[in-house]
Amino acid sequence: MKTRSKTIFLLIAAACLIVWSIVTIIPLYWMLVGSVQDSAATASFRPSMLPEAFSFAPYERFFAKTAAWRWLLNSLFISSVLTITNVFFASLAGYAFAKLKFPGSNAIFWVLLSTMMIPAQVTLIPLYILIVNVFNLGDSYTAIILPTAITVGNIFLMKQYMSSLPTSLIHAARIDACSEFGIFWKVILPLAKPGLAVLAIFTFVASWNEFFWPFLITNSTEMRTIQVGLASFVFAESTDFGAIMAGASVGALPMLILFFSLQRYFLQGITIGAVKG
Amino acid sequence: MARVEFRNVRKQFDDQNKQTFTAVAGSDFVINDKEFVVFVGPSGCGKTTSLRMIAGLEQQTSGDIVIGERIVNNLHPKDRDIAMVFQDYALYPHMTIRENLSFGLKNLKKPKAYIEQKVQEAASILGLDDMLERKPRELSGGQRQRVALGRAIVRDPQVFLFDEPLSNLDAKLRIQMRVELGELHKRLGATIVYVTHDQVEAMTLGERIVVMNKGVIQQVASPTELYANPRNMFVAGFIGSPAMNFIDARVEEERIRIDGAEFVLSQDAAEGLKSYNGREIILGIRPEHIYGEDFAPGVSTEHQMQAHIKVVEHLGSENLVYFRIGSRTVTAKVHPETKAYSNLSKQFIFDLNKARYFDPATEERIDW
Ligand SMILES: Nc1ncnc2c1ncn2[C@@H]1O[C@H](COP(=O)(O)OP(=O)(O)O)[C@@H](O)[C@H]1O
Ligand SMILES: [Mg+2]
Repeated sequence: MKTRSKTIFLLIAAACLIVWSIVTIIPLYWMLVGSVQDSAATASFRPSMLPEAFSFAPYERFFAKTAAWRWLLNSLFISSVLTITNVFFASLAGYAFAKLKFPGSNAIFWVLLSTMMIPAQVTLIPLYILIVNVFNLGDSYTAIILPTAITVGNIFLMKQYMSSLPTSLIHAARIDACSEFGIFWKVILPLAKPGLAVLAIFTFVASWNEFFWPFLITNSTEMRTIQVGLASFVFAESTDFGAIMAGASVGALPMLILFFSLQRYFLQGITIGAVKG
Repeated sequence: MARVEFRNVRKQFDDQNKQTFTAVAGSDFVINDKEFVVFVGPSGCGKTTSLRMIAGLEQQTSGDIVIGERIVNNLHPKDRDIAMVFQDYALYPHMTIRENLSFGLKNLKKPKAYIEQKVQEAASILGLDDMLERKPRELSGGQRQRVALGRAIVRDPQVFLFDEPLSNLDAKLRIQMRVELGELHKRLGATIVYVTHDQVEAMTLGERIVVMNKGVIQQVASPTELYANPRNMFVAGFIGSPAMNFIDARVEEERIRIDGAEFVLSQDAAEGLKSYNGREIILGIRPEHIYGEDFAPGVSTEHQMQAHIKVVEHLGSENLVYFRIGSRTVTAKVHPETKAYSNLSKQFIFDLNKARYFDPATEERIDW
């Protein structure tokens, strides 16, 4: 019975997904619920499933005790810059690898790809020394931005995407007296818009959520991103559970809103490169 | 003066395993000013590669390419005074038809009024006036094809390059566009290099045809010459439909013997085949030069043989009759009034004046 085994399979799959969803959603739910109750009720670190004493006081405390606005602004600025640099450089490099013939292009591409095999932890200390001791950039926006201004993963993603664009368009543009950069700018980029949108969103979210590098490279309060600031707040005010949850919500909410409003692109992003054309 | 000349042009590709593959092996030809020349051959024979080398999209491995009076080896495509129509049209999907047509002229920094006039002209030649503000995806296949043509026309190039421009159209539209392309050639008075794998398209459009196989030019000649005097068995088999029959034969003094019959050769043929006396050769005869004995007006009945019909296909205007000689199936294209059905044993007339003979070892035509 084909249909019957299929039904059973679907039921099992659905059950697994429901369990998984609950596991993922509960912490998120706790965070939100915990952020809107008075701290007395949550000081026990065992928040209830329903808000007992609804109040925005934790948010007020969080913003009062920290430089949260500055941190949010930092995060917004850094994520935006990283999004722009990654979209620009990754699409340029991806296009070159996908469509332009140049000596050693394959070798260079494989060297780049192989760097993805090295865990980030391995390069962290050399990178730190390079940025702080050699370039003297410690505790600055540049220091936070530079290492991920372009990433190999994004180049790879864009190469996959650019490969699916018809080469004859490039030839047509070349015959139409378009300059090489003009071809990229006027023909390729407009066609790559869906891919660029996906890349932009993923980069923005990843940059916003990035913790370890900014944490390592920043010292002063006003250079912190929201995630780093939040961590410092947790260390300092480990007893004010409500305010901590409020801070976590402030850090997470922009991404949740972004996700729900651009869901379509996230789904596209998962399949990008897998489906051609 | 826009002649195009290849001087011993080769093109090799290196594949992933560092094997070199010769896509075009030492091409030599001259395309005259205002001539319509068609490159034809099976897929993968190097037609597109040849065209792209003329365009400058591909750099030849060795040899010289001349357009007009200039050697263009190191010229960028935009400086070669050519325009190209691509197989998949390659219209810019995000631009309107107007923008598609004017893109090249804009890049060349032509004055606005000039561009406007050129676009208008091309649009009215091709009947695209109403579609200038639309995007390519809103057009039918035939209309897109016209836009692709228009994009070439606005450039006023010395040489038009066409890469299988009709292959994505349905049969009816293809024939209509074929006629229009012929007219367009007269109207534009430009040199046209046209690539196709379709020998009918080549025969109907080309003033001269370059037949290619496996990167090697087989013959350059007019359609009638190719049909009547193919240089080798490849050309003989490629041009004409149904294809020419190749029959194993043996020369014996002034006769040739084939399985089941013996034909006396004409004086010329006997003289020409003298050196093959006692050897095997291949007799090439087109299906339309074999007749049923009951319907062969004006054909000498001298060369006849009996054969057992296997299959008959009725096409209305003619019938295709299949019978065997030795191990080969032979096709005859006969008049519909010829009496023919399967299993009939029938007398066939061979018009040997139209037959051609080939050397089985070299596959070259035996010439005299
Ligand atoms: N860029 C390339 N790299 C490697 N091989 C190629 C390339 N372009 C064409 N070829 C090969 O050269 C041969 C001729 O190709 P092409 O000129 O496109 O043939 P066609 O006569 O069908 O137009 C084919 O075997 C093709 O695989
Ligand atoms: Mg081709």
